[in-house]
Amino acid sequence: MANENKNNSSYKVYVFVFFSAVLLALSLWVVWDDEFGLRPWKKYQEEFKTMKHDQLEKDYRKAVVEFQRSGGHKRLAELEAQLAKAETSFQSGGTQEKYKQLTKQFDDLHAQSAINQKELQNARGLFLETEYYFTKTQKPEYKVKMDELQRQIDAITLRGNALQKKEEVLKNSISAITSGKAHLEAEIERMKSGLEDLKEKIANNNKVAVEIKQIHIKDIDKADRCQTCHIGIDGKRQVSLLQPFARHPASFVYLDHHDPTKFGCTFCHRGQGRATTSTEKAHGNVKHWDEPLLAGDMTQTSCLNCHGDIKGLRGAEEIVNSTELLKKYGCYSCHKIPGYETMGDVGPVLTEVGTKVNYSWAVKWLLDPKLYFSTARMPKFFFTQDQAESIADYLFSMSGTTRHDVDYSKETPNAKLVEQGKALWSQARCNLCHTTGGRGGNHVKVYAPDLSKVGSKVNKEWLFRWLKNPNAYFPGTKMPRFRFTDEDIKSLVEYITSEYKDDEAEPKYVQPVEIQVASIKKGKDLVQKYGCYGCHKLQGMEEMVQIAPSLKSQGVSFLRGDEMREKIGTELSSIGSKPLEMLDFGKLKKSIPNDRLSYIKQKLRDPRGYRLGLRMPDFRLAESEINELAAVLYGFTDSNVPVRFMVPSRQELDRMAGVQSYKFTGDFAKVIADVKCTNCHSIRGIGADYAPDLSYAGSKLQEGWIRNFLANPDVIRPLLQQMPKLGLTSGKPAAKITMPRFNLGQQKVEDTNRTDVDVVINFFQQELVSNDIPKKIPVITTMTMPEQISKGKNLYDEKGCKSCHQIGTEGGALGPNLSNVGNRLNPGFIFKHLENARKFKPDIVEPDYGFTERERIYLTNFLMTLKLNTK
Amino acid sequence: MKRLPEITDKVKRNLIWKSIFRRDYRNNVRDRAQAIFGNVFLHLHPVQVRESAVKLRFTWGMGGITFFAFITLVITGVVLMFYYHPTIDQAYTDIKDLEFQVPFGVILRNLHRWGAHFMVIVVMIHMFRVFMTGSYKAPRQFNWGIGVFLLVLTFLLSFTGYLTPWDQLGFWAITVGTNMGAATPLLGYQGPFSEYLHITPYNDVRFALLGGAQVGGNALLRSYIWHCVAIPLISIILMFVHFWRVRKDGGISKPQK
Repeated sequence: MANENKNNSSYKVYVFVFFSAVLLALSLWVVWDDEFGLRPWKKYQEEFKTMKHDQLEKDYRKAVVEFQRSGGHKRLAELEAQLAKAETSFQSGGTQEKYKQLTKQFDDLHAQSAINQKELQNARGLFLETEYYFTKTQKPEYKVKMDELQRQIDAITLRGNALQKKEEVLKNSISAITSGKAHLEAEIERMKSGLEDLKEKIANNNKVAVEIKQIHIKDIDKADRCQTCHIGIDGKRQVSLLQPFARHPASFVYLDHHDPTKFGCTFCHRGQGRATTSTEKAHGNVKHWDEPLLAGDMTQTSCLNCHGDIKGLRGAEEIVNSTELLKKYGCYSCHKIPGYETMGDVGPVLTEVGTKVNYSWAVKWLLDPKLYFSTARMPKFFFTQDQAESIADYLFSMSGTTRHDVDYSKETPNAKLVEQGKALWSQARCNLCHTTGGRGGNHVKVYAPDLSKVGSKVNKEWLFRWLKNPNAYFPGTKMPRFRFTDEDIKSLVEYITSEYKDDEAEPKYVQPVEIQVASIKKGKDLVQKYGCYGCHKLQGMEEMVQIAPSLKSQGVSFLRGDEMREKIGTELSSIGSKPLEMLDFGKLKKSIPNDRLSYIKQKLRDPRGYRLGLRMPDFRLAESEINELAAVLYGFTDSNVPVRFMVPSRQELDRMAGVQSYKFTGDFAKVIADVKCTNCHSIRGIGADYAPDLSYAGSKLQEGWIRNFLANPDVIRPLLQQMPKLGLTSGKPAAKITMPRFNLGQQKVEDTNRTDVDVVINFFQQELVSNDIPKKIPVITTMTMPEQISKGKNLYDEKGCKSCHQIGTEGGALGPNLSNVGNRLNPGFIFKHLENARKFKPDIVEPDYGFTERERIYLTNFLMTLKLNTK
Repeated sequence: MKRLPEITDKVKRNLIWKSIFRRDYRNNVRDRAQAIFGNVFLHLHPVQVRESAVKLRFTWGMGGITFFAFITLVITGVVLMFYYHPTIDQAYTDIKDLEFQVPFGVILRNLHRWGAHFMVIVVMIHMFRVFMTGSYKAPRQFNWGIGVFLLVLTFLLSFTGYLTPWDQLGFWAITVGTNMGAATPLLGYQGPFSEYLHITPYNDVRFALLGGAQVGGNALLRSYIWHCVAIPLISIILMFVHFWRVRKDGGISKPQK
């Protein structure tokens, strides 16, 4: 029994010992883990310190070598020897005694003059006091006393001056004794300082503490600890290109404008700023953290957080390009998107579409627009044949009662008219906007339909009316009214309908067929359900276009008629920060990562994939377009941004300041509405940016030249033809990038008796002028004109202007051709432009030469002589 | 070394020593009993325990382990309170900081979190054991009652502590939990007969729990105060009664034979 007990207890001891050992081991592990395992940044910081130390050491060694190579060390030794010599000579031969003696004398004198100064102060005080009594009482005894005091003051001042002079003399003789030495000491100090600084830098680097580096943004209590690992991110000098040590790329754009100590990192890059325990956690690539790190170009999506207006924003180029897609596809037509509320319709007016197109074409188009042309913007709604016909019936019923087609394929076109039309087609440069046969067109910025098969789509009568006055059919269209005569238009219509035909078109209703009333009703319901009015103007649904229905994230309800008050699609104003649990991944069969960005991309890829009953159409976007659009949408957040970070758009600023945004007035507004200058040109912030800015055209251009140019546009910047990057040609060779000929000047503007060219010129000269641009340039009277011109020519050659500009046949083609500049530009503009080219065009490539006023006058006078004879 | 007894003697005659330890301790039955009687904490416990009653296979030691878990939670909880602000802006980031930055924050928080789960499990096993051994029968029926209260308090501690990190898990748990309260008869606005008391969402029991009509800053503060102050205090008092009753009811219940 006793034996058994003993065995039992020794067994218990082993268990006790075992678990004690486990507990000890665990405790030690906890300490180790807390010190090192959970603080990997310590290793990074040590490593960075070592690398920086090595770099500084190298600098130091290099500096030492350089110092010795340039003989610095010899010179230093020499100086030190001289100093030692000066020191000995100073201490021997009575110099030191003399120095001491002089210093003592100087000190005495200084004490004396201090006493003197005090006496002077006293006397002045008394004088003022007496003066005060005298002015108060006017008693003569005060006057006497004042005179007495004045004499005293004079005497003291004299004495003081004498003392000061003596001091000066003594000071000079003292410095004469020590100057040699002082000079030597300063020189030695100076020679040593460069190396000493480097040494100090090394010492300072060694002293840097290994610690968590945190940026705390107080007002929203955001703490970013990214720099704990990214230790060199805002360093002045690259220490290592490896992560996490590298500097921020393009920091002159990003960090210089967003001081990291004020903005932190996660405002733009997202991620989990507080985490320091592992890369995955810090970068937010972990479960339950909804804001994974944004890197590379994707980071630009964050510009949208604060910048109201990103157009032209340096460093935001990618996201600016991406937002063009948003405009191209008109996402804002169905979804509420901040900043896009006032954008116009993407699609054409459909109110009288029955008078325009063939019924068969309309049905085919509704089934799948890309069957008609591959660059069609309109998405596919997955209608059945029956549904498509109902919608077409509804649309046709607004302007008629029949389904009808026209078929020109059997007719023989009038050859003469076709010939004339073809000439007009190229003269008017239709291909600048419209694509035909895969050539020309600009699908990115000015979106105009592909006309390759238009002959099988529209009828001749409509085309005639359209070309005569596009605004009559579609108010607000981008299509300009060319000033064609009726004869011209007839020939153009003949050319277009005969040349651009669809061989596969099957016109079924050449014999018109009555439309069924039930079908119209069904079509109208479909139009409302799928929100066609979002992009197209439809009779009786105009209101809905503006404020059509809202389906916030919860619940989809099909509102009808008067109930429609908000947009049809989900509000996108904060899609980029929508909580993950509010995104409905639903019935998706495919497995995608469970994050916001993947959700958005999948939605764009397969708009109706998440569940049944979704109405969003399929835009058939390319993967690159999906990525770009997703990047933009990801930037629409309602994240907590301090107001002081916000950069409102220009419109917003104007609104806040109560400034009315610029509006065209008078007859010029009529011309603009007709010719649509702002499709390409920008005038006072209105319009597009791929033709020259005309905001100050009145000050810039000469009247005669404008007249000439409008009559016969020519290329000013020849090189632009080869620059598809500007989005003018979307990569394909275009006919010729220059302004179309609008035939201005041949017709009178409505309700006036002035021609449109006169109106344009009048407006340019009245409105589009800048007070900064002088009408005339200063005149130099001391020099004859030919002398000035020849000086200007010399300057032109000297500064190498011809490497970019062309005169005659000589010179580069990057800048405008100057052969005819004397006829084109006003001298005042040239004069001002040479002073500061960036004033009127901030992103101009022209270098700033810093010309003096005289030089600018010479150059201007020279340039004004460059004229071509035009008849 | 020779002077050691001298020093020991001097220390033991010192007033401070005497006032703390009161008497000499000679390892005999009487002194052992005196040591238990004379100590405010130990006197809650029976002076003598039968050998059969402490057999692990009979009691499983679950009551003691529960108490041990409770002490661990009090200590870690107090330290955690140094690093935590019960506001909706800071609560979650404070928890994150415990993980990322506070020295020994990870072990501290995990001890508290896992310790809480552990206590809930252990307390239920304790109840199970007491039930299966029939220890709820007379004369221990009062202590069983106390035990039931302590079980509920343990659950409430766990429930209120769940919201403190202010994460999705806690938020929805409290939302669901308090919505159940809204269905209480008479006192909840969705419960039966509540209309006779003029109960609305703004004066019912749910409102009292949340300090508002929905889970927000007030709910967080309330759950924090319940969790850190009120419920632990009540629990400690009941625990004293519980342990005292164990002694008074004849010590830990033992097997029939």
